[in-house]
Amino acid sequence: MRHIRHLLMLVVLLVSTGAAHDYIPGAKQSAPILLKGGTLYTVSGGVLPNTDLLFDNGRITQIAPTITPPNGAEVIDVTGQYVYPGMINGQTQIGLVEVGSVRGSNDNNEIGRNNADLRAWVAYNPDSEIIPTVRSNGVLTCLVVPGGALLQGRSSLMNLDGWTREDAAEKPVVALHMTWPAVAIVDAWWMEKSAEEQKKDMDENRAAIGRLFEDARAYWLAKQADPRIKIDSRWEAMLPIFTRELPVIIYADDYRQIDEAVAFSKKHGFRMILSGGKEAWKASELLKLNDIPVVVAPTTSLPMRHDDDYDLAYRIPGLIAKAGLKFCFGTFDSWSARNLPFQAGNACAYGLDKETALRAITLSPAEIFGVEKDLGSLDVGKKATLIVSKGDILDPLTHGVTLAFIEGRKVDLDNKHKELYRKYDAKHTEIPGK
Amino acid sequence: MISRLMLLLLALATSLGAQTTPPFGIRTKTPDLKAYSNARIVVSPTQTIPSGTLVVRDGRIVDVGAHVQIPAGAVIVDLKGKTIYPGFVDPYTQYGLPEVERQMRQSDRRPQYEAVRTGADSWNDANHADKIWVNQFTPDAAKAAELLRLGITAVQSAKFDGIFRGRSYVTLLDTGLTNELILKPQSMHFASFNKGSSEQQYPTSLMGSIALIRQSFLDADWYRKAHAAYRLNPNQRMPEVNLPIAALGQIGNESIMFETDDELSLLRAAKLSTELRVPFVHVGSGHEYEVAKEIAATGQTVILTVNYPRAPEVKTAEDELDVNLADLRYWEQAPSNATMLEQEKVRFAFTTYRLKETRDYLKNIRQAIRRGLSEQTALAALTTVPAQICGLASEIGTLERGKLANFIVCDTNIFVEHARVFATAVKGRIREFVPVEQVDFRGEYSLHLAGKDLFLSLKGAIDTIKGELKLADKKTDLESVVATRDELTFSAKLDSFGIPGITRFSVHRDADQLVGMASLPDLQRHALVATRTGPFVPTPDTSAHERAEAVMVSKVTFPNKGYGVTELPPVANVLIKNATVWTSESEGILSETDVLVQNGKIAKVGKGLTATGATVIDGTDKHVTAGVIDEHSHIAISGDVNEGTMVTTPETRIGDVLNPDDINIYRAMTAGVTTLQLLHGSANPIGAQAQIVKPRWGASAEGLKFANTTPSVKMALGENVKQSNWGAQYTVRYPQSRMGVETILKDVFQAAREYESDWKAYNALGAKEKERTIPPRRDLNLEATLEIVSDRTRIHCHSYVYTEILMLMRLAEEFGFTVQTFTHVTEGYKVADELKAHGASASSIVDWWAYKFEVYDAIPGNMCIMNNRGVVTSINSDSPELGRRLAHEAAKSVMYCGMSPEDAIKMVTINPAIQLKIDDRVGSIKAGKDGDLVIWNGDPLSIYSKPEMTFIDGRIYFDINTDLKARVAIQVEKAALVQKALSSGVRESRRRWREGYKPLDREWECEDIFDYWKEQNEYHATH
Repeated sequence: MRHIRHLLMLVVLLVSTGAAHDYIPGAKQSAPILLKGGTLYTVSGGVLPNTDLLFDNGRITQIAPTITPPNGAEVIDVTGQYVYPGMINGQTQIGLVEVGSVRGSNDNNEIGRNNADLRAWVAYNPDSEIIPTVRSNGVLTCLVVPGGALLQGRSSLMNLDGWTREDAAEKPVVALHMTWPAVAIVDAWWMEKSAEEQKKDMDENRAAIGRLFEDARAYWLAKQADPRIKIDSRWEAMLPIFTRELPVIIYADDYRQIDEAVAFSKKHGFRMILSGGKEAWKASELLKLNDIPVVVAPTTSLPMRHDDDYDLAYRIPGLIAKAGLKFCFGTFDSWSARNLPFQAGNACAYGLDKETALRAITLSPAEIFGVEKDLGSLDVGKKATLIVSKGDILDPLTHGVTLAFIEGRKVDLDNKHKELYRKYDAKHTEIPGK
Repeated sequence: MISRLMLLLLALATSLGAQTTPPFGIRTKTPDLKAYSNARIVVSPTQTIPSGTLVVRDGRIVDVGAHVQIPAGAVIVDLKGKTIYPGFVDPYTQYGLPEVERQMRQSDRRPQYEAVRTGADSWNDANHADKIWVNQFTPDAAKAAELLRLGITAVQSAKFDGIFRGRSYVTLLDTGLTNELILKPQSMHFASFNKGSSEQQYPTSLMGSIALIRQSFLDADWYRKAHAAYRLNPNQRMPEVNLPIAALGQIGNESIMFETDDELSLLRAAKLSTELRVPFVHVGSGHEYEVAKEIAATGQTVILTVNYPRAPEVKTAEDELDVNLADLRYWEQAPSNATMLEQEKVRFAFTTYRLKETRDYLKNIRQAIRRGLSEQTALAALTTVPAQICGLASEIGTLERGKLANFIVCDTNIFVEHARVFATAVKGRIREFVPVEQVDFRGEYSLHLAGKDLFLSLKGAIDTIKGELKLADKKTDLESVVATRDELTFSAKLDSFGIPGITRFSVHRDADQLVGMASLPDLQRHALVATRTGPFVPTPDTSAHERAEAVMVSKVTFPNKGYGVTELPPVANVLIKNATVWTSESEGILSETDVLVQNGKIAKVGKGLTATGATVIDGTDKHVTAGVIDEHSHIAISGDVNEGTMVTTPETRIGDVLNPDDINIYRAMTAGVTTLQLLHGSANPIGAQAQIVKPRWGASAEGLKFANTTPSVKMALGENVKQSNWGAQYTVRYPQSRMGVETILKDVFQAAREYESDWKAYNALGAKEKERTIPPRRDLNLEATLEIVSDRTRIHCHSYVYTEILMLMRLAEEFGFTVQTFTHVTEGYKVADELKAHGASASSIVDWWAYKFEVYDAIPGNMCIMNNRGVVTSINSDSPELGRRLAHEAAKSVMYCGMSPEDAIKMVTINPAIQLKIDDRVGSIKAGKDGDLVIWNGDPLSIYSKPEMTFIDGRIYFDINTDLKARVAIQVEKAALVQKALSSGVRESRRRWREGYKPLDREWECEDIFDYWKEQNEYHATH
């Protein structure tokens, strides 16, 4: 039997419908809040030690060395602590996948090659037990991406505190997602198809993608000529890519995939964002020339190729930063979304500077996903989506989120894990010595 | 000189040899006495007669020598200028047998756990030891002709199917009555690790195959004893009849022909052969040169394939991305396989097996000779060695008097490039491919035609001649050239010579002249005499490939791939000064401290140390920890990590299947890992015996092993063992519930205890009684289970949910043993006190959760609760990737639940050492312990830090600067090989398997449930 971890299960446990976390979403900000004396990692304007930050009605209203609290303001002393914009995870399946192996709890994959009309937020479950464990680490916003083959659907940018998808959505539709077909020939005993068959599949997949985009373009042209044509939901979903309103995020790791994908984006005139990007550094000139940003897949992975440097995966962010590419980090999973800051931190041991690392989990993803007016840095006018940590958030040794706000709403930092910890820390069983 | 009497006896023997088959029609009585004279006779690899005669009567050599008296009545065949060689022998074929039928896997089929039983066969469908293949032998004329063209006159054959494949036979390659072709009806047993067409689950892994072989020989021994005792005393339970097992019992001291798919498995087989005291002859893969020294050390014989790969695909820079250094090296080095084995004095024979094109056999052997293989060894590998292997050295393999008249007639030295096999004789019956008395027309001639002086040049092969006619500076190619035995005809368009039209020629050779006729375009016939002016000089093969071959640009390393080494690092004498030293001892973390490493051990720890002769490493701003220890890893394992077929498989051993080639060994040591426990997967409640190793990159499989450890075994509970996530067809194996897991474990533990008492009772019998009593069957499964129950083999049990953790502790207590370590143990925090009270330790993953239902209550504070309650707690990886970041994972316990950094580092050093019961030797920085250390560029727990140097056994296995050099070296070597491949002009291939390229390494996971053998066989069938 082949690798079957993800095969159909016999017993379908409806965990997702049974599991709902108990933490009440924060109430809309009703009074100004002043964070006093923190060290502000503004991202946009450097590090401001001993600086006050005031926010009201969900937005940052003032940043200054000393701010006099307005009437009715809640003042929180954060002296000695660090204030950061809330972290943004560039790709996750949070809210779509509850328990990986339990089919009934998963809503991430649809069948078929063209699912451009899917939207992630429709199935996003704000009550997922995973969400509180992620936001308590300071990751407050996540791009939620449908899985599947070829054209996967459209992602949604969600904040991690809300009653419904409407509360939680920062941007219901962010990008159309697509996986570039494999290009590497895998001639290994666990690969059922021969090299020739694989090559044939690759050509077929490339042709299929070409046809999809040509048909979508035909629909776009026809629609411009006659807005009353019958609606095809898939082509309809793809219309904004031709006006470059909606970017297409293409997953590609291998240099050859990246090369093909970029050429494809130019041919069809859409705005491309690269995701995955393990060999983006090999294609950095091409990506830079075409102004294509990168959502970097987990760098805590093995080198792609046998002869690669042992630390190559760790060095990817440093390499693409050096090449001048814009990039952000993504964790590409559900439960591991909480490890986002450590992905960035790890890259710092392998050639990435800490300032860029922090930017790549805050302002850079905000820019890439078009929400930089609201999120990503500590600036007056932006949403008060921010966190307070007792130390450097990139290193688990110092990381410790004490406060989090999403658009000024105070986020409950408790979660299932802390609850279970408290419960069993209280269990003491007297067992007579053996 | 042969005596007249002997000749007479021989003649009598054959003429009186009336056989069983009655004649149909007139009896044939053609005399058979021939003398092949004037030939260069290569009698054997060590004896050549420059010019002599070979006398053959009735299929047998009756005389051979330089001055032989040709018997009266002999037909004399003049072989002037020819060379006679002994007929070749191929010891490993499936000649004359039907193809193996393979059933392609259907993924929705229910797994077949039990054998399909027919007759008195084995419990395992891969055991065909009772097969006697001669019973199914039918000569295959087409195949025989193909082999005869290569000089092969005899083959040893059996069907290549299964683990025990049955008895082969040796036959001559001839047509006629099968009964008269067979040289040895019951020759060697063939065997392999591959279960072949068996649809039964066990074994699905290499370690399972090895265990099955071991058990089968024990069964054979028991079977003999049981039946002997039963014959003496029928008043006891009747022992079963089992023909395959009985057949194994009859092997005695005979050699087994054992096929393996790579050189590491060849060494595994060699080791097994020594262990079982059954000699093996190994059928290799073409990669033997990579371990030539190790093979030489076994003293065993190898059958070599001469399948050489086409170049890997590097035509474009894009294609090249899929090609690694190991592939390029193999392409360049494979033709030197035999040469390198000869240098190490390995005894070997050649086979046509694995050749993509059988016709390339001699061509490829000649290539080996150009790479330095001696002709003498090559000839032995084709003749005497295979003859000895088949046990027929007195019959075949040389042209000595008395042997069968199997020989080859060749125009020259058979090992030179343009040599032609003219004929092959089997038992004196000669089969010509080119007439042996073919006149050689080739050469340079001058002739006079129609008043013009022409030059004729004849070249090419002796029977496919090409040529041209020249007149001053004009020339024209010959057309329609046909050389029969003694006549040459051709035509030529001579317009440019002033003879318009096509002229036809027919000539014979007469001494140094060609004499014959030319028929001009006007049909006028002219007598023709062409006088020889010069000999034929063959043009050397100067293809780009041949030229390139002269210069080897690659290195052979161990492993023979990127980052491979030529020798292990030397024992260091190093003093690390002024570092922050994390001792993992009660001393805690010491600042500005020195560590002296000498003779493989930590010699001293302290301040202001000095040591004469030691290399000083400045440790300022650096941190030093003990080497990282991983309690749970699946790297460096070949042929599948799970034998998850039977409910318990403790008879399997990870130590049997170590893979020292795994690049993840290199990657582990770059991450400061110095010890790993390699575990079986989690597909069944009791898995394999574990193996503790040190990642000594460049060492052999045996060299990886951590010496003298307490045995340990993998157990598993929960979703994997009850096959919850394997698909709907996996619902036929007991257990399918956690209740069933407990019950079956109880059953096997009980059985182990009863096994022990059965043996005790038997051993208490007197010698006489023993002889009359059927002994208990030695059962390696129960023996290994008994080791567990007796607390001698320590359990490392994969577990998640606290109910199952509690279950196993209570069950162990019931049987009086202790669970050493619960591994993963994500709900250990729920039963921390119970773990402590039982005496179990815990090795967990830190923050993984929610990927399956049984980890839905996993919490990152798990480690702290267990640690706080006094449970010895460690962090493991279960992953080659995570295994490189264990210290960073440990730091998460500082973050999530406030563990002290000192305790955190213990979770990846001394605590796992305690769990593996090796804490007296490794796990902390203390004088006298193994020199297993890591130098970090900062706080080892910090995400910003990384290892810069890793010591194992006091040797510097990893140095960040040395690694940088290795990266450059890979690029340089790869570049040279790619250039060579590009300029060689040879065709490229992507068919890795058929070309002999090694399969890609696989990163195993706990939950991998391949049927490794079925996957292999399907891959081989379709790629």
